Amino acid sequence: MTNRRRFVLPPVAWFLLPWAAVYAAFFVFPFVFSFVLAFLDYNPLNVANTRFVGTANFARLFGDPAFGGALRNTILFVVGTVPVTTALALGVAGLMRGKIPLKGAFKAALFLPSILSVVVIALLFKLFYAPGGALNQALAGFGVAGHGWLTDPRTALPAIMAMDVWAAVGYYAIVLDAARTSIPDSLYEAAELEGAGAWATFRHVTFPLLKPAIAFVLVINTIRSFQVFVEVLVMTQGGPLGSTNTLVMYLYDTAFRRLDYGYASVVAYAVFLLSGVFSIIAMRRLRPETAEGRPI
Amino acid sequence: MTPRRGFLRYACLAASAAVLVAFAACGDKEKTGDDGAVVHFWQFWDLAVIQPLVDEFEAQHPDIDIEVEQLTWATGLEKIQAALASGTQPDVCELGSTWLPRFSYEGVLEDVTPVYEAERDSFLMWESALWKGRVYGLPWVQGSRALFVNRSLFRRAGLDPDQPPQTWDELLHAAEKISQLGTGIYGFGQNIGERYVLYKKFMAFAWGNGGDVFDESGEVVLNSPAVLEALEFYLKLAPYSLQEKQEVLDQYFKTGRLGMQVSGAWNLKNYKLEAPDLDYSVALVPKPAPDHGAHASFAGAEMLVVFKASPQKEAALQFARFLQAYPQAKKLSLAAGSVFPAALSAMHDPDFTTDPRVRVFVEQSLTSRTTPAHPGWIEMEEAIDRAVEESLYGRRAPRWCLDEAAREVQEIAARFQR
Repeated sequence: MTNRRRFVLPPVAWFLLPWAAVYAAFFVFPFVFSFVLAFLDYNPLNVANTRFVGTANFARLFGDPAFGGALRNTILFVVGTVPVTTALALGVAGLMRGKIPLKGAFKAALFLPSILSVVVIALLFKLFYAPGGALNQALAGFGVAGHGWLTDPRTALPAIMAMDVWAAVGYYAIVLDAARTSIPDSLYEAAELEGAGAWATFRHVTFPLLKPAIAFVLVINTIRSFQVFVEVLVMTQGGPLGSTNTLVMYLYDTAFRRLDYGYASVVAYAVFLLSGVFSIIAMRRLRPETAEGRPI
Repeated sequence: MTPRRGFLRYACLAASAAVLVAFAACGDKEKTGDDGAVVHFWQFWDLAVIQPLVDEFEAQHPDIDIEVEQLTWATGLEKIQAALASGTQPDVCELGSTWLPRFSYEGVLEDVTPVYEAERDSFLMWESALWKGRVYGLPWVQGSRALFVNRSLFRRAGLDPDQPPQTWDELLHAAEKISQLGTGIYGFGQNIGERYVLYKKFMAFAWGNGGDVFDESGEVVLNSPAVLEALEFYLKLAPYSLQEKQEVLDQYFKTGRLGMQVSGAWNLKNYKLEAPDLDYSVALVPKPAPDHGAHASFAGAEMLVVFKASPQKEAALQFARFLQAYPQAKKLSLAAGSVFPAALSAMHDPDFTTDPRVRVFVEQSLTSRTTPAHPGWIEMEEAIDRAVEESLYGRRAPRWCLDEAAREVQEIAARFQR
């Protein structure tokens, strides 16, 4: 070869190219474009009238009670579901350590909600929570009066949160169970010899060694929960009285119903920043430690 | 470099190029045919319902080719927005009457005022296409909401099923009587906890009482005594009502557990299939008093619009007018079973006046109202929903709720004054 110094793409790059093209078109471009939109007054019906408005869209966030409500509901959703899901997933993963009959079937059943579309789950739960639905019928069996779970502003958000926990636990339990199987049995044997009970074993063996996996579960679930949307769209559309209006639901309304794409982009970046901050906190707190308790 | 690796390299490059070209092709659309016009038509009906009409038009106009695309109610509006932003919009499009004003306001629709001037008296629902004295859409099919009455429950409650309530007092009395039949049986249905529906039911009472969102001069009158009176009456119904989402109310009515509700003609079709033994009738929405007010209700329409940017405006308008004409709108209405032609000819057509339930719907549309043709309507309806919901939940006094809603509507209206 004559021009050896010519830049040559390594073969792996050629294989990555098709994926990179999709990634650029559907992730990088919208990401950058929405950042530009955040500084514009842009509406798709009238692109010619697009105006630069500086940071006006950002300033609106602070005086917007609807955004405040959506922020509150979203934080409630995250704080109310992520720890519960993680704790339950840990518990279920712990159960799987023991000898249980039909473990394979049990695992498959646990994982089942994860392969169902969120729309399907939300539609099923809409029926489940309906006035004549399974939940109210079961309650009637105990003599408890029925309740409009999704039409009462006090119970609508908790009802969606409960559904989310149900749908998410299995997946994270499988993740944690997989991580747990990598803990050497010798450590459990040592703990047993030292006379550690179930709690002490969990506290000093399982939990510290699962920390990276728990961090992963927390971060992934936090990011996902900050983006809660489809469940809300299908079940309550943000109502009643805005009690289930979440940030992404608000973003969707702002962009696609009110055609206020600039402001909607600001909301999108707010969601991005918030989930980023929460994820960083979760990762820092659950950093693997050395034997002396210092972060590695 | 070995020939083999070179091949792989080019294969990957080709795959990437194919991916990108595929994206580019998504937006690239053939605009004209070789031997005449191609009219792109986006609409929400099942193709089985719409295709016969399209075939008929194409047979009559061999030089025009219609490309139909079916949108869904869940994502259709987004798709239209994206198409307008990228300049790939269709030529003719179906738009709901509550969406249309925003499109009129943005100036993306072809002005069809001449059609309006020629056909003004032949169709209902022109109001929703009106913006600043010009008309931007053709009324196609419409649907109002009427009072569904369960005759068996009326009988059981000692009421005369042949005398459905005509006034607010009679409605309240009947609702109370029926709700006393036992737990799990409700006198009336009130929408709650979902969008697009609540204001349609409440405004029927407000309009019937002479109230409105705007008065003739464009002032917000949502907190007028007439609207407040309607809201206070609506609250009186609450103790005897099932407060739920529309699908639940329809379900309760179907299974004979709901005495009355204001709902749409889609139920006629569904009940015929799913509850053939249900003994029910349809009546006009009651008016405030025998000597006061009107049997008002909400009516929504499907409108046909031509986009200003269409290169085929003439053929597009020709096709839209063909669809709008009574014979076609009638075929569509009969096939769909949930709407009626916007054309007034339906009022005298035995196909719409023989069945007593259908006749009431057709009659109801004559005293029904459309929502104000305001570009900010989508937001204004949320303000009305909120006012009614807050009152129903007992969170705030009705007067406070309406004052607040009026203030919000005022604020939204101000944003659109440019």
